[in-house]
Amino acid sequence: MSLPPKSNLSDLLSSKLATRGRGRGRGLGPNRGDERTDEDKDRIVQKTDEDASVSRMSAVGLGYLEDPFTRAFVKGQIPRRYPIINRGTYVRTTAIDTLVNRFLAQRPSEPKQIISLGAGSDTRFFRIISKNQSIALTYHELDFPTNTSLKIQCIQQSHGLLSIVQAKLKAPSELSISPDGTTLTSPNYNILPMDLRNLSQNQSSSHSNPLLSLSNFSTAVPTLILSECCLVYLSPQYADSVLHTLAKELFPSSTALGFILYEPIRPNDAFGRVMISNLATRGIHLQTLKKYSSLTRQRQRLLISGFESGQGASDVDFIWNNWIDEAEKERIANLEMFDEIEEWRMLGKHYCVAWGWRDGADNQPIFTPAWYEVISQDEIEDDIG
Amino acid sequence: MSDLDKAIAQLRACRPIPENQVKELCHKARELLLEEGNVVGVNAPVTICGDIHGQFHDLMELFRVGGDVPDTNYLFMGDFVDRGFYSLESFLLLLCLKVRYPDRITLIRGNHESRQITTVYGFYDECLRKYGSANVWRHCCEVFDYLALGALVTGASKNLESSETSYTDAGTQSSIEDQDIEIEILNSNSEVINRFPRSSRDSQLPPKSSPLSSPILDTPSRIGPVGTGATSSSGGSRSNDGGAVLCVHGGLSPLIDTIDKIRLLDRKQEVPHEGAMCDLLWSDPDEIDGWGLSPRGAGFLFGSDIVKCFNHKNDLSLIARAHQLVMEGFKEMFDNSIVTVWSAPNYCYRCGNVAAILELAEDGSNGGYIPRSNGDLGRKQEMERDLRKRDPPGRRYRVFEAAPQDSRGMPAKKPVADYFL
Repeated sequence: MSLPPKSNLSDLLSSKLATRGRGRGRGLGPNRGDERTDEDKDRIVQKTDEDASVSRMSAVGLGYLEDPFTRAFVKGQIPRRYPIINRGTYVRTTAIDTLVNRFLAQRPSEPKQIISLGAGSDTRFFRIISKNQSIALTYHELDFPTNTSLKIQCIQQSHGLLSIVQAKLKAPSELSISPDGTTLTSPNYNILPMDLRNLSQNQSSSHSNPLLSLSNFSTAVPTLILSECCLVYLSPQYADSVLHTLAKELFPSSTALGFILYEPIRPNDAFGRVMISNLATRGIHLQTLKKYSSLTRQRQRLLISGFESGQGASDVDFIWNNWIDEAEKERIANLEMFDEIEEWRMLGKHYCVAWGWRDGADNQPIFTPAWYEVISQDEIEDDIG
Repeated sequence: MSDLDKAIAQLRACRPIPENQVKELCHKARELLLEEGNVVGVNAPVTICGDIHGQFHDLMELFRVGGDVPDTNYLFMGDFVDRGFYSLESFLLLLCLKVRYPDRITLIRGNHESRQITTVYGFYDECLRKYGSANVWRHCCEVFDYLALGALVTGASKNLESSETSYTDAGTQSSIEDQDIEIEILNSNSEVINRFPRSSRDSQLPPKSSPLSSPILDTPSRIGPVGTGATSSSGGSRSNDGGAVLCVHGGLSPLIDTIDKIRLLDRKQEVPHEGAMCDLLWSDPDEIDGWGLSPRGAGFLFGSDIVKCFNHKNDLSLIARAHQLVMEGFKEMFDNSIVTVWSAPNYCYRCGNVAAILELAEDGSNGGYIPRSNGDLGRKQEMERDLRKRDPPGRRYRVFEAAPQDSRGMPAKKPVADYFL
C-alpha cells in the first residue's frame, strides 16, 4: 500500500512563506506575518480554497461524501487527511447541504437564487443540478479573480462539469467566458471575479457590483447567501459592511433572504488560542473570530443584519450528535479507524454553522417552513467572548 | 563509545539512524522483550508516562523534567508513534534506551503500536518518507508485537516525602508540612503547584458514595504490606506500603477479571479487532455503571464499579493508564482508583493541553526489602472477603508544556496542524 505523505500542501505553503520571510531581513522575530504586503495576505486567503478542496477530495476518496465533481479541481494524487479532518469535512458539507436542500425543497417549481461568497472550487452547484436538472435555480459564485479563473479553467477541461453547465443552454452562445478567463456567465450559473471588500458600503455602487450587471440576477426572488469560511478573513468592519450591503441595500426588505455562515468560534480557550497562533504562522488571520466568538454572537450578528425572522447556530460537534441519524453515523464510523474522540469533540466545538432568515413580504413564507425545525444549539458554558 | 551509545546520541539529536542499524536494534529489542511476561514486574521508584505520539522535542522536555535515563526509572504506557512528525526518532530512541538499560526503562504496548493504525495515523508514511521504503516500518511493527501488555508496579511508598523545593506561590504553603502527603503537583521547574495531604479516608472508611460499601467495612481490617499476608488491625506499626499499581495503555476488559488472565494471553501478534488484548489497549473509564460500548469502535467503556471490583480482587491500589487526551495532563477518577496520564503536550501541535508524568516513590520503610516483582505470589487471599479499598501510593505529578520550537539546537521546523479553512 502506498500512501502519499500528509500535509503536502501546508508544508509547501509554509516553506514558501519561510523563504519569502528570509528574503525580507532576518531577526524580526515571530511577527513575520506583519511584514507581508496586502497582496501577500490576499494570496494566502485565496490559497485556503486549495486546502478546503484537498480536504474535500480526501473525504470523497474515502466515501464520506458523494461528490464526483471535486476530482476535477484537485491535481495529482488523491490526498489523504486524518480521520478527524475527514469527519469534520463531512459534517460541514452535510450541515450546509441540509439547510440548502430544505430551502430548495420549498415550493420547488418557483425560481430561487443562491449567492456563494468566496466560493472557490466548491462543487455545490454541480451537485444540486446533477440531482435535479429541472430545478429553477440561479447560482452566483463570487471570488477573487485568481480563484475564478482557476475554476473556469477546470470546468473547461472537465467534460463532466461542462456538460452540467451546458445542460440548460438553449443556444451555445448563452454560455460566455470573458476573454481574460475570470468571468463565466450562463442562464443559471455565473462565476464572477470580485474582491468582496468592494461590496462594503463605501465602495458599493451599482457600477461596481457585478451582480447588478447580470441579466439573470434578481433582487426579488427568494435568495440564499452562503459564506463558507469566507467573511471570517475580512476585517470586522468589512465583514459587517458586506453583510449590511447584501441584506439591506442590494435586496429590498420585501425579498425573502437567508444567510448561512460556516466559521470557527471559541478563540479564548487553549485550543482556540493555539488555532489562532498556528494559522497566524501560515499567514492566515481569522479577523472576525474575536468579535463573533460564540454561537450567541453569531446569532446576534445575523439578527442585527436584518435576518429577523429567525436565527440558529450549532457547532460541528453538536451537529454530528444531533443532525446526523444513527445509521448514517454508523456508516461513517465504519469508513476508517477513529481514534481521535477527545480531539474530535474539541475540534468540533470550534467550528459552527449559523443561519438566519427573513421571510420578506411574501404571503407564503419560504424560509420559516424550511428552517424552523433545524436544531439550533443552546449556548454552553461561558464561551461568550 | 559503543555503537549503541552512538545511535543514542544520534537519535537524541533527532537524526534517524541507518536502516541496517534499525534492523539490528529491532532484533536485539525483540530478544529482550521476548523474555518479558505479558505483565512486567516493575519496582518503585518509577516514573510513569502516557502517550508520546512522535512529539520528539516534547519527549526531550519530558526527560529534562523527569530526569534522564538511566538516572530515573521510566515506564512508558504506549502510543510512542503516530500523529507527531518524529515517531521514528521517538520510538527508536526509547527502544535504544530499552536495549541499553533494560532494567531502567519499561515499554508497554499502546493501540497505536499496530500495523493497521500506523498506516492511517502517520508512522507508516513517516518511515516511507524518511527511508524511501517500508522496511523500517516493518522492523518496528515486529517489535510492537513483542511489547508487554501491562506492568505491575510494587514497592511504592504510600506517602511522599516533602520535596525540598519551593512553592510557586509562598502564600499557598499550608500547614500540611507535618502531614502525610498523598498527592503533589509540580511544574516543569520543580516548583510545587499544589499538595494534598492524605485524607481521612486513611482512617479506613471509604466514601459513603462507594457502591462497594457494606457492613463488613465496620470491622477494622487494616492490611499489612503486600506479600506479607499480615493484617494489622491491632493498629501497631503503620505501613508505608502504597499497594500495587497496574499500568496498561487503555483499561480493563470484560474478559479479564484477574491479572493472571492477562498473563495467559498470547500477545505476540498484531492487535486484534476484539477480545481481551484489544480491550486492554483500547478501553476507557467513563461515568457509567458496568460496561458500555466505546465510541472508538474498539474496546469498551467501564465504570467505577468495574474498577473498584477489579482493584479489590487483584489487591491493587491503583490503575494507571494513558490513551485519552486530558487537558491538565492527568486525571484521577473513581475515588482515586484509576488515573489517566497524558504525556504529549499541545497534542498534535493543536490541542493546547499540558502534559504530565507520574512519579511513584520507593517505600524505604521495609528496610529496603522489595516485594517479589511479579506481585502474584503470596498476595493476600483474605482480600476476597474484605471490601475495604486499598490506599493508593503517594503520587507526584510533574506537569509540563510543549518544548519551545527552537530549544537546544533542535530543528526549528514548525509542524503544521490541519484546520478547516
